[in-house]
Amino acid sequence: MLSVRHATVHYETDDGGTVHALEDVSLDIDDGEFVVGLGASGCGKSTLLNAIAGFVPLTAGAIAVDGVPVIGPGADRGVVFQQDTLLPWASALDNVAFGLKLQGVGRAERRRRAQELLRLVGLESFARAAPWQLSGGMRQRVGLARALATDPKILLMDEPLGALDSLTRETMQELILRLWARTRKRVLFITHSIEEAIFLGTSIVVLSPRPGRIVARFQSDHVRRFLQGEPAASVKSAPAFIALREQIRALIHHGGAYV
Amino acid sequence: MSDLAIDGKVPRDAMAQRRRRVARRDRWATVVSILVVAVVIIGWCVGSGLRLVSPLFLPSPWRVVHQAVVIARNGYAGATLWEHAAASLLRVMVGFAIATSLAIPIGLAMGINRFVKAIVHPVLEFYWPLPPLAYLPLVIIWLGIDETSKIVLLTAAMFGPICMAAQAGVRSVPIERVHAAQSLGATARQVFLHIVLPSALPEIFTGLRIAMGVGWGTLVAAELVAATRGIGFMILSASNFLATDIVFIGIAVIAVCAIGSSMAVRAMERVLVPWKGRS
Repeated sequence: MLSVRHATVHYETDDGGTVHALEDVSLDIDDGEFVVGLGASGCGKSTLLNAIAGFVPLTAGAIAVDGVPVIGPGADRGVVFQQDTLLPWASALDNVAFGLKLQGVGRAERRRRAQELLRLVGLESFARAAPWQLSGGMRQRVGLARALATDPKILLMDEPLGALDSLTRETMQELILRLWARTRKRVLFITHSIEEAIFLGTSIVVLSPRPGRIVARFQSDHVRRFLQGEPAASVKSAPAFIALREQIRALIHHGGAYV
Repeated sequence: MSDLAIDGKVPRDAMAQRRRRVARRDRWATVVSILVVAVVIIGWCVGSGLRLVSPLFLPSPWRVVHQAVVIARNGYAGATLWEHAAASLLRVMVGFAIATSLAIPIGLAMGINRFVKAIVHPVLEFYWPLPPLAYLPLVIIWLGIDETSKIVLLTAAMFGPICMAAQAGVRSVPIERVHAAQSLGATARQVFLHIVLPSALPEIFTGLRIAMGVGWGTLVAAELVAATRGIGFMILSASNFLATDIVFIGIAVIAVCAIGSSMAVRAMERVLVPWKGRS
């Protein structure tokens, strides 16, 4: 279980002010859970993810994975980034295998496992391609496979679909859900799209800015309906889906989070 | 797969069209370049052929070519053209090798560690913009007039650009790339070897190319004092006798060497950094 207790992140700006990026946030992510952090820009959702990943130190509070405190980045928390962070000098296959290489897994074994992961994300025929030969959606799929390669305890996704066009985005949402159903990883997924949050999350936490804190939590079963075979379009047009969407939209707008 | 279907068909035609347009423009640019060179050579032939300029100032192209063949065979100022060229090439290459092996580690260390930067930065900032001719007397007073001072002068001139480039290379590493490696379990050493070093390579190669140019630019200064061989020495002694044709040959040899070594670095770059400009 991932537990975040009273996580607070303050940092100083150049002109001497203090930004309360994250204020007293507590959150648990249990086995098999897909938690979505939702909010407008500047609400601290990325800070929350960066703190869990270990990139940003906490000013106060604690984060632990299965009881082990987080003190820095580590392979137990896989990260999928918003921008493309693939190594431009390595092929898709070697990018996926990179984490295994760092762990000292032998060449043949890591290539075999990377090839298997590429197959899972539908890129088995692009193993030798360089990142700049792939489209934005394909690069994010390689990034996803790379994060899965080291078999992390939790997958942290920081607006991974933010830079994609809407058609690719929908395909990617379904791919992520199929992978999640298959690997049963715990997921924290950051987004500013309300519809994406409801479609993907078993649990949705809404954050509001200045200071960044959690203002509401929702449980959602729409993702299970999709995984049980209901078409995505039908899930997204169900009255309960639309009602929840409007409820969250009102909450975010009312909170003055949208500028 | 849907990605391919989406950004596949229509843009590909547009791309091909754009490529053809760019190719046409490139061909046109090549024609212009060739024309400029031709005009210069014809102007040279006409100017010297009609005696518009005294041969003392502008020898004819035939005379320069003839003289080149003569000094390649019989030598000038105590050595053949090849021996002069080889001596200079050796000096520049040794200086380049020493400068590279010192400047890359120091530049990388400056980019990574602020204490190293605090130590090296003031020294580098002070001497780097100085013309090598300005500190040549000091190098000679300190190190004498033999080969050492020549190599040191060339090394010093080439050190700056490589060191600056290596440092800039480290600073250009995207922090997300470092984070990605760390979240895959990379140690500090692995981050340096697998992320920082390759990410800095494109910048380092830019520095190497600049250093190569600076090296050949410093050659004549390096061979100013107490050389018995070298293209710079050959030019200097020819100028004492107003042997303009030999000066022309010397300049041409330096130009060929400089262009050749720049192309060699570029070829190495294409092999080692094929991703440059694509990410």
